Amino acid sequence: MAAGIKVLVIDDDQDFRASLRPVLETRGYTVIEADSGEEGLRKLVEQRPNVIILDIMMESSAEGYGVTQAIKWQEAYRDFRETPILMVSSIEESPDERFPMASEVDMIRPDTYLSKPLNIPRFLEALEKAAAS
Amino acid sequence: MSEPAEQEIIAVIDDDAAIRLSCRKILAKSGFQVETFEDGAQGLEGVARLKAGLVLVDLKMPGLSGMEVVARVHQLDPQIVAVVITGYATVDTAVEAMKAGAYDFLPKPFSPEELRLIVNRGLERRHLALASRRSEMERELLKRRFVTFVSHQLQAPVAAIHQYLSVLKDLEDSEAVAAKRREWLERCLKRAEEIQTLIQDWLTLARLEGQGLARQRVKVDLRPIISGILASYEEMAAAEHVSLAAEMPESACLVRGDPGCLSVLFDNLVINAIKYNKPEGKVTISAEPIGEEVEVAVADTGVGIPPESQQFLFDEFFRVKGEAAKRTPGTGLGLSISKRIVAELGGSIAVESQPEVGSTFRVRLPAWREPASQPEASESSP
Repeated sequence: MAAGIKVLVIDDDQDFRASLRPVLETRGYTVIEADSGEEGLRKLVEQRPNVIILDIMMESSAEGYGVTQAIKWQEAYRDFRETPILMVSSIEESPDERFPMASEVDMIRPDTYLSKPLNIPRFLEALEKAAAS
Repeated sequence: MSEPAEQEIIAVIDDDAAIRLSCRKILAKSGFQVETFEDGAQGLEGVARLKAGLVLVDLKMPGLSGMEVVARVHQLDPQIVAVVITGYATVDTAVEAMKAGAYDFLPKPFSPEELRLIVNRGLERRHLALASRRSEMERELLKRRFVTFVSHQLQAPVAAIHQYLSVLKDLEDSEAVAAKRREWLERCLKRAEEIQTLIQDWLTLARLEGQGLARQRVKVDLRPIISGILASYEEMAAAEHVSLAAEMPESACLVRGDPGCLSVLFDNLVINAIKYNKPEGKVTISAEPIGEEVEVAVADTGVGIPPESQQFLFDEFFRVKGEAAKRTPGTGLGLSISKRIVAELGGSIAVESQPEVGSTFRVRLPAWREPASQPEASESSP
């Protein structure tokens, strides 16, 4: 069980958040939801989660990368630069294909990249690993 | 996120100390932040450093001329609004400066009211230009990411359904999941409908691009079409606490068109008017003959459309950003379909809208005229 571990789910798809919540809660995680990158960053500071699950394509495309960039570069989020991030997307591309310039513009690379729909056992395994790091 | 700063900085560049002082006093009274400079070089440096939004510049100064300042300011940022101050003898030069990109000119002597008016107008234009540049960039991005965008539109609902079902299956024994079963299945149905709408819209669009949708050009009375549409969306409107009303002429309201296409067209407009309305809002659909045309207006009292988005409204996949779009499922195709149908039928469509007040879509269609000596075309259904 993962008692006391807080997971911040940043995704604009309410169905994704809704279906993930009981999966995480039955395993003892505490779930915090945010439906935009902006709300995600706010809750990051307020609630200090242990792990972040972050969608790439939100209302403005690639908003997820905006979040990782803010965490890396903005002073307000400096405490969270080590917080593990699991990136999820329904786009069948790795970040390298989608953002060939990613290293040049110094985006934070996600620790793990998973495609939607999530394979639940594999997702939980990745989450456990991230939470333990 | 709004690019124009809450408080725009206004730079006044004039070698005449009296003008600098009076501009500062007048504009500061209206709440503007004003910085003054006594020559062009200092002024340019200041504009760049302070990121000024509007520049008032004297035409005739020692050193850099006002004209050069206008040109260089626009090299810094084309969206900076430049207003040229000019004496009585240099109206011709002021016209020259406007050709060079100045927004307007202010002849000396000017009243405080004239100064305020020109500054307010200039800033208003700047804000519109900035907003429309943002939308333009977004639209470009959208085009480039077309494939990604389309696949995301389809994949998001499929992924949501897939995930609900796989959690239901994997965690069958979990009480927390069992309790959600019914709610989740309903969400799955909603998302499946979303996919269906998307596919339908795409097919309609593809057909419009191919041979066109409108097969017929017959005499159509709009009244039964519109009352039929209102009847079929009554339930949807009631669920949104929106009331529907029609203001139709007493006698037949005849246009030349394709009944099936006309239904699709007004369907789209009425659905939008309901979806983007507010609780206790109203949708009014009216028709009246205007010359050789019939105008149908679909008016709502809803969230409205920001001015900078209106020009893109009929573009494929364009959706106005914001809370309303987030809450409301939509493909971004409805209005582009409507526009094409109207064009195919030889009509026109336009929108007037005010944020938080409502929108009115006006469709003009060619009125039916009895052919002089041909056998009368019969009214037919799709």
